[in-house]
Amino acid sequence: MSGAKLVQGNEACVRGALAAGCNFYAGYPITPSSEIAELMVRFLPDAGGVFVQMEDEIASLATVIGASLAGSRAMTATSGPGFSLMQEHIGFATMAEVPCVVVNVMRGGPSTGLPTSPSQGDVMQARWGTHGDHPSIVLAPSSVGEVFNLTVKAFNLAERFRTPVTLIYDEIIGHTRESVVFPDSVDVISRPRPNGDPSTFLPKAAPPDGVPPMPAFGDGYRFHVTGLTHDERGFPTTDPGQAGALITRIHDKVTNHQEEITEIETLMLDDAEIAIFAYGIVGRSAHEAVLRAREAGIRVGMIRPLTLWPFPYHQVGEVAAQVDTLLVAEMNLGQLIGEVERAAAGRSEIVGHLRADGEPITPTDLVAAISGAGAVRT
Amino acid sequence: MTDVRDHLREWAMPHVLCPGCAHGIVLRSFLEAVDEQEIDRNRLAMVAGIGCSSRLVGYVDFCTLHGTHGRAPAFATGLKMARPELHVVVVTGDGDGLAIGANHLIHAARRNIDITVLLLNNSIYGMTGGQAAPTTPTGAVASTTPGGNTEPNFDACKLLIGAGASFVARVLAANPIEMTRVMVEGMTHSGFSFIEVVSDCPEYYGRYNGMGGGADMLTWMAGREVGVTGPLSSKRFVNHVPSSTAPPGMATGIIQREERPVFTGVHGEGSHGP
Amino acid sequence: MDRSEYRIAGAGGQGVVTAGRILAEAAILSGAEAIHNQVYGPQSRGGASRSDVVIATERIGYPLAEEIDLLVALSGEACSRYHPELADRSRLVVDSRCVPTDLRTSDRPYPIVDTARSVSGGQLVSGVVALGVLQALTGVVEAATLCRAVADRVPTRHCEMNLEALEAGMRLVAGDER
Repeated sequence: MSGAKLVQGNEACVRGALAAGCNFYAGYPITPSSEIAELMVRFLPDAGGVFVQMEDEIASLATVIGASLAGSRAMTATSGPGFSLMQEHIGFATMAEVPCVVVNVMRGGPSTGLPTSPSQGDVMQARWGTHGDHPSIVLAPSSVGEVFNLTVKAFNLAERFRTPVTLIYDEIIGHTRESVVFPDSVDVISRPRPNGDPSTFLPKAAPPDGVPPMPAFGDGYRFHVTGLTHDERGFPTTDPGQAGALITRIHDKVTNHQEEITEIETLMLDDAEIAIFAYGIVGRSAHEAVLRAREAGIRVGMIRPLTLWPFPYHQVGEVAAQVDTLLVAEMNLGQLIGEVERAAAGRSEIVGHLRADGEPITPTDLVAAISGAGAVRT
Repeated sequence: MTDVRDHLREWAMPHVLCPGCAHGIVLRSFLEAVDEQEIDRNRLAMVAGIGCSSRLVGYVDFCTLHGTHGRAPAFATGLKMARPELHVVVVTGDGDGLAIGANHLIHAARRNIDITVLLLNNSIYGMTGGQAAPTTPTGAVASTTPGGNTEPNFDACKLLIGAGASFVARVLAANPIEMTRVMVEGMTHSGFSFIEVVSDCPEYYGRYNGMGGGADMLTWMAGREVGVTGPLSSKRFVNHVPSSTAPPGMATGIIQREERPVFTGVHGEGSHGP
Repeated sequence: MDRSEYRIAGAGGQGVVTAGRILAEAAILSGAEAIHNQVYGPQSRGGASRSDVVIATERIGYPLAEEIDLLVALSGEACSRYHPELADRSRLVVDSRCVPTDLRTSDRPYPIVDTARSVSGGQLVSGVVALGVLQALTGVVEAATLCRAVADRVPTRHCEMNLEALEAGMRLVAGDER
């Protein structure tokens, strides 16, 4: 294969960000994400961008939001402990509708946990980590090549919908070096911009798709940005009608475009009696396990969401309606399995294969689990 | 000079400040400073955290960011580095800037990023109902120090000098003309400038400590500046300190001014430095 | 699909991670698919260090090693930790200073670290010497390709020394066969 290079997952993230036009990075060192910062400071200046190492993760995301308000395509990267600190500003960026990308290279938790071991323990935090009612867009690559593609997608979705987007993958994907060929160019989507008279500009008046045009500070539009519930003028309000309209709109702009956001890989589901639901690194194990189990004559398939949130209830539900058993494999003690149960709504048996000890779930583990699931069924 | 009311969002009034609160006087002095410098409103970003003083940004017709509690210096850092042609001014309070946000404030000072921070110190948490702040003097009464504050208080200017701020000043809300002059000096300073404005909170601090209304507190404040007839460096503000271990007061005026390389983030070659 | 797995394990500071990366890059230069994984502790020097390389003719599904074909152990700790995990068909290459008592006939001790010391005066090129041994034993990549991968990866000023270390590793096997 020509042009293939051995690239680390965290480097693919940086390459993807640069391809997507990222021109601002602020972050704080943390294992296993630090390579992203170390590569950003090497590459970003030549790409006309700005790098800054902040005093903590709270400041990192605040700085990213400030840069985005000034017109930059901005991102930060962290791991679990830092992701916890960033929740405050994920909420702010959601409310103020400021595009930004947050990368969480997951390690074992809670707390400092297992800094150099993989985990998928943050997938519910990525949905519900910040307080209040809010939408979330969370993407989960399972290979180095996919880290590149989904980093690009994260920027595009952030800009398209004016919202923070989280890219979440585990330590193994972050540190694995894999042969990949990067595309020469990628499609880049930019935030909608206003073109009307600045004196009558309403910063939070949205067109039918729910995404208001966004000028940058310094563009000639003077407007107010706040994390308080606000009206179309962007000014704080406690009026229930205005408050309800705002919170509904920031939800709907995401959920009404789920088909634009959701990406799913399926494998050998046509005649499957068992389906493995897996994501991220476990998706790789599931893929291999399906191939091996098929060789042994077991009718098994796989559904792997690349978009964890908004959760693909519809697609998972369709699989549940078709198979007898859904085997949910995740490197935590049961987080997305609850969503799979909601999606299945009793239409299939749900079996968990869960692990949270810092070790990966292997294809061998899953082949055994598939056999077990079959035995349970009969 | 234009009418400084041109800089206001009158449609956003009435404002949330209490009668007698000196924050409005501070805002007026700031708008005079903006006017004097003839700053293009489209290029002026005003960034605030959470609290009474932070609410000021809602009423000014600039590019305004009302962020999260204590984090204004970090938001401001992103704005300034992404768009260096912006004038970036942070408005913060003593709780916002010196408790929850002290870390961001000292690191912005250390970097010497070219922004101005106005810290409006009213010695108490006003918006949340009068709790003790890191600036509440020892012995003073607040809703969480009913028997008098037992903790020592910060001297914000000393803290910022220690952190490396290249311009540090303290002014009193009772001296609006002096306030404007110092704000112009701070905003035209190349690098990080920090201006503590001693403001008031008649509603909580004044009421809890028997200091009267807003006018009484400003009169009191003006009378607590000592050493004004001596050399400038001897000017001090002596706060409301009932205890006998009263410190000698805090310096006022421009306390620190030095030229240091200005931080712009890591850009392409040669852009880091003066 | 033709898939093989290699593990180079030792102590931090023996060049184990770099060696694994070079092997994977050599495989890609040969037109194969390759994955490199590293496991490490909090220490930058000392402590345990491990590189796993998976090489295959087609796109690699599961990226981690599941059944190692060849283990190179450069420290006693690495040997005692990973040797027992080896399948019967798998081979062990172990540094002569830490040969286990239960060495099987297919296992091979070589003075890898001593060779690294004699080439460079230190341990840092042990991993590259190990790559020479690995190449000579398995032929998973061509010697010339491995030389190119070494030259691409190491700093120019250390290139000659690393190529010398690689060849010294290959000679260890050649000498063994004579």
